[in-house]
Amino acid sequence: MGKLTIGCFSSLVGSMSLDFAVKLAGAALDKGHKVDFWVSGNGTMLSIKDQRSFKDYSSLEKPIKELIAKGLSITACEACAEARGYNKGITMEGFKRHSMDWYLASTFDADRVLHIGGE
Amino acid sequence: MKLAVFVSDFRNTVDTLDRLKPEKLGVILVGNGVYHAVIKENGAPSPVLKTPAAFYALSEDLETRGINTANVESNVKVISYGDIVDLIFNDYEKTAWL
Repeated sequence: MGKLTIGCFSSLVGSMSLDFAVKLAGAALDKGHKVDFWVSGNGTMLSIKDQRSFKDYSSLEKPIKELIAKGLSITACEACAEARGYNKGITMEGFKRHSMDWYLASTFDADRVLHIGGE
Repeated sequence: MKLAVFVSDFRNTVDTLDRLKPEKLGVILVGNGVYHAVIKENGAPSPVLKTPAAFYALSEDLETRGINTANVESNVKVISYGDIVDLIFNDYEKTAWL
């Protein structure tokens, strides 16, 4: 089994790339791979807890919690989050916050990397 | 190098794809990129499908857009998320996102 590192800069609002990335992470975990997931820029909105789920509107808090329970390592860019007012107090449990060094280090020892830029 | 390129938008990305010269190229159509697998222009398939590559389209994204997989071009293989994971780890060394 290998390690997949996914980096995503897109938010769930206005783009389906983040939704794709989360589903891909789930599929990789189900196949026994290790997955590191990094969100940067507007993608850091994924880290906020207690997001309201609407019908016919993609919501990722529940799947993210399930993936964390399965072993997903997920981290938000701390500076990007803070710049948007997403402080530690509103961050989902299990969602880490670090500088971009975390992403760089993760890509260095990953078997595969998928980097998804911003919208 | 064996390169898998994710095409996530319905724009002509032929110029970019033409500049890529890997030993092996795979194009994985996801999101609105799956329209390349079915939509014809003046009766011809999307120019993206003329790129010398292996083509794949994500079944979930086809279904989400109401596209019947029977209408997908014959040189495009319909795949699942699990299949994408296998392609990434077994068939290609590097990935790019367009």
